[in-house]
Amino acid sequence: MSNIPFYRILRPFLMLTLIFSACYCQAQQSSIYGTIRDAANGESLIGATIAVPAHQTGVTTNHYGFYSLSLPQWDTLVMVISYLGYEPQVKKIYSAEKTLVDIHLIPSGTDLELVEVTADKVDDRNVTQTQMGVLDVPLKLVKELPAILGEADVMKVIQLLPGVQSGNEGTTGFHVRGGNADQNLVQLDEATVYNPNHLFGLLSTFNTAAINNVTLIKGGFPVQYGGRLSSILDISMKEGNDRQFKGDGGIGLISSRLTLEGPIIKEKASYILSARRTYLDVILKPFLPRKINTNYHFYDLNAKVNYRLGQNDRLFASFFKGSDLLNYEQAGIFYKINFGNTTGTLRWNHIFGDKLFANTSLIYNDYDYSIEARQNSVQSNVISGIRDLTAKMEFNYYPHYRHQVKFGGMVTHHTLRSEGNARFNPGTQTTPERPIQDIPKKRFTEAALYLDDDIRLSQQVSLSGGVRLPFYSSDSARYTRIEPRLGIKWQMADRTSVKAAYTLMNQFIHLIPGSAASIPYDIWAPSSKRTLPQTSQQVSLGVFHNLKDNNYEMSLEIYYKDMENQVLFKEGNQLAQSLDIDPLLTYGKGWSYGAELFIQKNTGKLTGWVSYTLSRTDQRFGELNFGQTFPYRYDKRHNLSVTGSYAFNQKWSFASTFVFTSGAAFTVPTGRISAQEGASLFEGNYFIYEERNNVRMPAYHRLDVSAIYKKQRSLFGQVYDSEWVFSLYNLYSRQNPYFIYFQVDVNTDQPQAKQVSLLPIIPSVSYNFKF
Amino acid sequence: MNHIALFMSCILSILLAGSACQKIVDISLPDHHQPQLFVEGILYVGEAPLLYLSRSASFFSDKVTPQEVFVRNATVILTVNGMNTIMEMDSTFDKFRCRWVPFYTADMIIEKDQTYQLLIEADGQTLTGETSTALKPVTLSDVEYTPEFFDVFGGHDGVIIRFHDNPGEGDYYRFQMDRWIDTSRYHAHALDGLINTCVEEDELFFVTDIGRSIFSDYAIDGAFFELYLEVSFEYEEGDTATIYMQTLDENAAAFYSDMDKQLESILNPFVEPAFLHSTVQGGLGVFGSAIRSSAVQFIYPQDNP
Repeated sequence: MSNIPFYRILRPFLMLTLIFSACYCQAQQSSIYGTIRDAANGESLIGATIAVPAHQTGVTTNHYGFYSLSLPQWDTLVMVISYLGYEPQVKKIYSAEKTLVDIHLIPSGTDLELVEVTADKVDDRNVTQTQMGVLDVPLKLVKELPAILGEADVMKVIQLLPGVQSGNEGTTGFHVRGGNADQNLVQLDEATVYNPNHLFGLLSTFNTAAINNVTLIKGGFPVQYGGRLSSILDISMKEGNDRQFKGDGGIGLISSRLTLEGPIIKEKASYILSARRTYLDVILKPFLPRKINTNYHFYDLNAKVNYRLGQNDRLFASFFKGSDLLNYEQAGIFYKINFGNTTGTLRWNHIFGDKLFANTSLIYNDYDYSIEARQNSVQSNVISGIRDLTAKMEFNYYPHYRHQVKFGGMVTHHTLRSEGNARFNPGTQTTPERPIQDIPKKRFTEAALYLDDDIRLSQQVSLSGGVRLPFYSSDSARYTRIEPRLGIKWQMADRTSVKAAYTLMNQFIHLIPGSAASIPYDIWAPSSKRTLPQTSQQVSLGVFHNLKDNNYEMSLEIYYKDMENQVLFKEGNQLAQSLDIDPLLTYGKGWSYGAELFIQKNTGKLTGWVSYTLSRTDQRFGELNFGQTFPYRYDKRHNLSVTGSYAFNQKWSFASTFVFTSGAAFTVPTGRISAQEGASLFEGNYFIYEERNNVRMPAYHRLDVSAIYKKQRSLFGQVYDSEWVFSLYNLYSRQNPYFIYFQVDVNTDQPQAKQVSLLPIIPSVSYNFKF
Repeated sequence: MNHIALFMSCILSILLAGSACQKIVDISLPDHHQPQLFVEGILYVGEAPLLYLSRSASFFSDKVTPQEVFVRNATVILTVNGMNTIMEMDSTFDKFRCRWVPFYTADMIIEKDQTYQLLIEADGQTLTGETSTALKPVTLSDVEYTPEFFDVFGGHDGVIIRFHDNPGEGDYYRFQMDRWIDTSRYHAHALDGLINTCVEEDELFFVTDIGRSIFSDYAIDGAFFELYLEVSFEYEEGDTATIYMQTLDENAAAFYSDMDKQLESILNPFVEPAFLHSTVQGGLGVFGSAIRSSAVQFIYPQDNP
């Protein structure tokens, strides 16, 4: 797509905004607005539904728990408010021009006093909202499902959702609808987390105890999101209990965690502080030979405070820091690997009136890593990092019950620094190492304006139409793009809808695909004249149907995604060799299509889901595979996940996960040649490769189970909730492939393929408490 | 990065109660590999030409010895200054591997500063190539023994070679060590465990040890090279060797660099696979040239550690 002068794009955009504002300024309406929160702790509920049956309409709360509904004037209005995991409420509202109604929903299963009337309706957003390709991750289930080493991990649960392929076994990497891992935008309180891993990918940096909401968007992207091709993983931290002091902790096999939260000023200001640290360094010590010295450990820290300035204003400040540090020393060999993310978000929510909500954020995030490797005659260092400063402002405007308008803008200033060197005989080298502050920096800016209107055209048909205008500028290149976002919903019946969406996305920053081992060797590279922005176009179509009062949700989505300007390494390259990235890269295209079936049960003693994805992803690069099409490495044709949690009684509950995926593609040589003048260290036979990714690894499957025993206990006269979590990962100890390599028997000349498997059956136990 | 991957595997294994494991698996290959002609011809200045011509085998075939894959009765013509020389079949016996190694050769000596053309006709295919022997040998300043050094592939013992690069960018070098050994001197790496049934105990036989790495003077023209080099055969105190550095032409350097990249990708599953790129037309392989440095006699000062 060619560059377009920015002012030309801006002009119609501003005109549209004015038209929207003018359309409804004189309409005779009354409005209801306010926030929806958890009655027990005051947390905002994101995506709670407010239905008005008399007008056959409704609205959902935005990302900050705010809602507004404008309707033709009425005498008495009945609203049904519902949210998964909470008792539904019915509210009767008497006529007024503007009515502020703050609602507090009571968590299901609590014995708080019931407020007003309960109803049997539960969340039906999956059918009623126009947007498709959105999955809310049920955090309650995340805590109950079996996990490696007993560490509940939201990223592992995301891998069980339709359209999501896992990366290497046991790691938190994921690939959405044929996209690379760097095409996922992972945000914590709006701040980008560039490497969301601990323990080299075995665990994520997200401490489940500190999370309020997790949403994965894989298609039909809303206009406020951009900068990545394949998915948005939007994670919100808890705000902190504004009613009473609470604690939540856990002691696991490799780490422990503690979360404290409470009011600073009751129902006005609150805080939450959550920390986790591993004791792997202590555990490993007895198992390692004396000559090996290592101190691997990781930690993460989440903190957030919020303050209500009045009825219309609220301030938030949140902070996250996660870090991994490894020192490894053995005679003559020394490795030091250090990587971590730091994020900070300042946020101001302001309600301008009954129809306009604004969020203003200032965001800082910093991702750093460094690797130092010394072996007597060779020393190599890699220092790299990316630091972003972002300012954004977003408005939600509710002019009429048929319209929800969203508009805003953002600007991010990126500073990227990286330097690497490898040299022989460091003792004789005269060039001094460069201090970190002197490492050359690449600076570039991303900005975007956006506008979207979710229009209800009739009782049956809704349309979401918007545009995002991203802009990129660096020393070497400047790009302006137009990203149309369209969605349409046809409500066929009360519990059935059909939706379609089209989105165009651009990505200006690229993670150069490095080690498959999730070793944190991340090199992010900005777009340049040579490395063009990645672009994707995606169309999707889906049928959504709920059964038994929305207790069962079903969806079937099909999609086609076309990706341009994809980046891979040239043949034989590995990242360690150079940080001068551009010459090592080769460019091509990819495309993916598939069907995703999702059946979820949200309520009752048994909850869980079945997810099945049938998909295909191919790539074509002029300089790879002789220019021919080849399968994407994570093109796993069949992907089945079955998860379930069953509450047996008040004390015991059981959960299980079964996963099956087709084998990943990898490259196997087809022929061998015998060389006489090659390196004498080797046996003299070399390989002929004819096709890239020409063979499949064996299929991956495993069954995990867990049991949770809950009991109320008391300590020093204080009652607290405790739970023991017993889990078995890979119950039948399936030897799933981690990687395959080849070895030739020197006496028989017979090559053999050897499969390395990493994670057999792993029992674990952890103890959690809440007070 | 191999070490980091290995270290992580160790950490995870210990963490998971020593549970990481490996097993031999069957891989179903696409069954469409058509044998290709493979030529390997490096012309050494001052020596008779030697050219290996073979057919590729399917990947899981065990019929890959030089005898089994050699292409007999091919027409192989070497041309210099318009003079054609037909190369004939011959062979030598490799006493370390206990096998015959057939090749094509001619009764001529490769001269310096000449351009040679190659023409091969076999199996209905025609292969052509060209190389220049305008190469400059280097003079080795010093050779030293090292009992232990480390590089990105781990710890090794070997030799340190020092020399000045020839002026002018575009020089490529690789290591060569010639030795007479007996069967008590095992191979230090991939061929360790090879059973030798063709020579008597204490019988000496000749081996040539060629280094895996190709060193370039790109961006460091004229620099003083100090190279730490791993050796391929074990040794005892007093063992002697003759050491050279080969100066290679661009064809040979490119092809053997590809091979080295491939070795790395074969050994390391985390590296992109490396396809071999031919420097001859009409088939796979290399036609290049090399010149050796002055020889340095070297005596090992100790047994291998």
